Amino acid sequence: MTSLARLLGRPGRVSSAGPTRSRGGPRASEPLWALLFLAPTIIGLAVLSAGPILAAFGISLTTWDLLTPPQFVGFDNYVQLLGDDRFLKALRNTTFYTVVSVPIGLTLALGLAAALNQQIRGIAWIRTAYFLPLVTSMTAIALVWLWIYSPTGLLNHALAIFGIPPQRWVADQTLAMPSIIAMSIWQGLPANVIIFLAGLQAIPVEYYEAASVDGAGRWSRFRKITLPLLTPSIFFTGVLALIGAFQVFDQVYVMANPGKPSEATITLVYYIYEAGFRNFKMGRASAASGILFLIVAVATILYFRSQNRWVHYQ
Amino acid sequence: MDRTISAPDVRRPARWPRRKLVRRAGLYVALLAGGLAMMIPFLWMLTTSLKTRAEVFSSSPFSFPSGLHWDNYSKMWFALPGVTFGTFFENSLVIASLATIGQLVSCSMAAYAFAVLDFPFKRSLFALILATLIIPFQVVLVPNFILYRSIPWPFSDSGNWIGTNLPLWVWAFFGGAFGTFLLRQFFLTIPSELADAARVDGANPWQIFLRVYIPLSRPALATVAIFQFMWSWNDLLDPLIYLRDLPSYTTTVGLAFFQGQFVGKWPEMMAGALVSLIPMVILFVVAQKYFVRGITLSGLKG
Repeated sequence: MTSLARLLGRPGRVSSAGPTRSRGGPRASEPLWALLFLAPTIIGLAVLSAGPILAAFGISLTTWDLLTPPQFVGFDNYVQLLGDDRFLKALRNTTFYTVVSVPIGLTLALGLAAALNQQIRGIAWIRTAYFLPLVTSMTAIALVWLWIYSPTGLLNHALAIFGIPPQRWVADQTLAMPSIIAMSIWQGLPANVIIFLAGLQAIPVEYYEAASVDGAGRWSRFRKITLPLLTPSIFFTGVLALIGAFQVFDQVYVMANPGKPSEATITLVYYIYEAGFRNFKMGRASAASGILFLIVAVATILYFRSQNRWVHYQ
Repeated sequence: MDRTISAPDVRRPARWPRRKLVRRAGLYVALLAGGLAMMIPFLWMLTTSLKTRAEVFSSSPFSFPSGLHWDNYSKMWFALPGVTFGTFFENSLVIASLATIGQLVSCSMAAYAFAVLDFPFKRSLFALILATLIIPFQVVLVPNFILYRSIPWPFSDSGNWIGTNLPLWVWAFFGGAFGTFLLRQFFLTIPSELADAARVDGANPWQIFLRVYIPLSRPALATVAIFQFMWSWNDLLDPLIYLRDLPSYTTTVGLAFFQGQFVGKWPEMMAGALVSLIPMVILFVVAQKYFVRGITLSGLKG
């Protein structure tokens, strides 16, 4: 089975990956059957994806509190957003979260995957321990970490052993975002490790054997064989991590008691939620989501553009 | 790593070279220590949930509970007025199950069309569906809210879908990129001779889909089901927006609400968090290979 990594990884590959099995010529009735099978999907695309995206842009040009009819205000919402300190903080926090959590998360996952890529007895059980955070809800996890980060919590107790004074972590203006990032990296590790493990296991053993014969050491084998052959996996994990990082919400909602984060931790999606569903400013919320969309699109395009320079496809 | 660990000079009949043995032992120790480190938040959740509130603040966080104070669990279960935590569980179960059924039905149908049938614009449509994977869904948050708000519904206080669980699962019956992609890839591996044989016997595409493709695709269907169930179970933002009163809350919204109401009651809160994780953890231990397969093929997670 071709993985999504293969399809997404190479622009233009999607079309050529389509099935072209010819089985005794086309049948005239097939398009009709296809329409039947695709009806739910096509309705969903139109009503729940494409339509709403256009609608969001339309709504972003209005002020609308849902009680009175919407009023057209042009690009007013966008102009106001750029002058809104809370929005700018959200933008900055989200960018910080992405720029820090994605590279650190991927590097750690890569190291962990290399360590777990062993054929030893009991490895399945050991991996289960590492994978467990994967299935846990961010809500429950954030609660636990809130307790770990609390003034009387585990982290301060552990640091006290080394004589480090207690910190306020998520309640501290400077440490709040790094604390949330550390927790998110922990929770996100398993998924990335799983992708990297699959990538590692796809590398033919012969390459390593040949390199060993040539006298290559451990580190140079990793750098010259493993890393280049793993770049498609790294690229792919990076795309998803990037898109996911811009959508960070749950941990901020739970950790910022009582559901109203300070300017130290507010993120773009939280801002959208707050503007739309707390303050009922639908136009403002839509404009903010439009900006989120634009940022993710630009970041993704730039990232895809960069792949020629560092991703090696076999 | 093996070079930094010096082996004690024990002379043993070496079935393995000593260097290799030491390396392997070091590997085990390192992997187990790392695994333990990953588990620390879970272990701490467990020990805290069994301590008394006084004990939590007075004793060392590394200590074991003085006794097994299971009453934290019952306190948590009945902490909110009028509803038990069991209600939240039920709500989550209903929503996650319906969303899972919806995805299985709509995605397998679309996947069959993409894998087996020929029709115009097939490739562009498939590319369009994949493209929705990289669109942050928050973009459609406001328009979808307005859409659901405009659907009349006589059974809710609002007179529309707001305040019901409908917005949380009805969408699932209208396709999804992850499920469609994963099932299409699986359907492509099924030999077309099987479908051809059925066609010769007079079966139409719908019958081939139901009798040949679906029965052969159980592992792929299980993967899609498990992921959708997990996403619905763990989702916070959508239930937060659409569910309006306490008895309709899911476990995530219930937990978050709990957090706001019971600041500092760590044992009860940890008991709640732990209980909310149990269904997913059991599912994971039982079906780990499906999780691994789903992530390997798609890269998607929570």
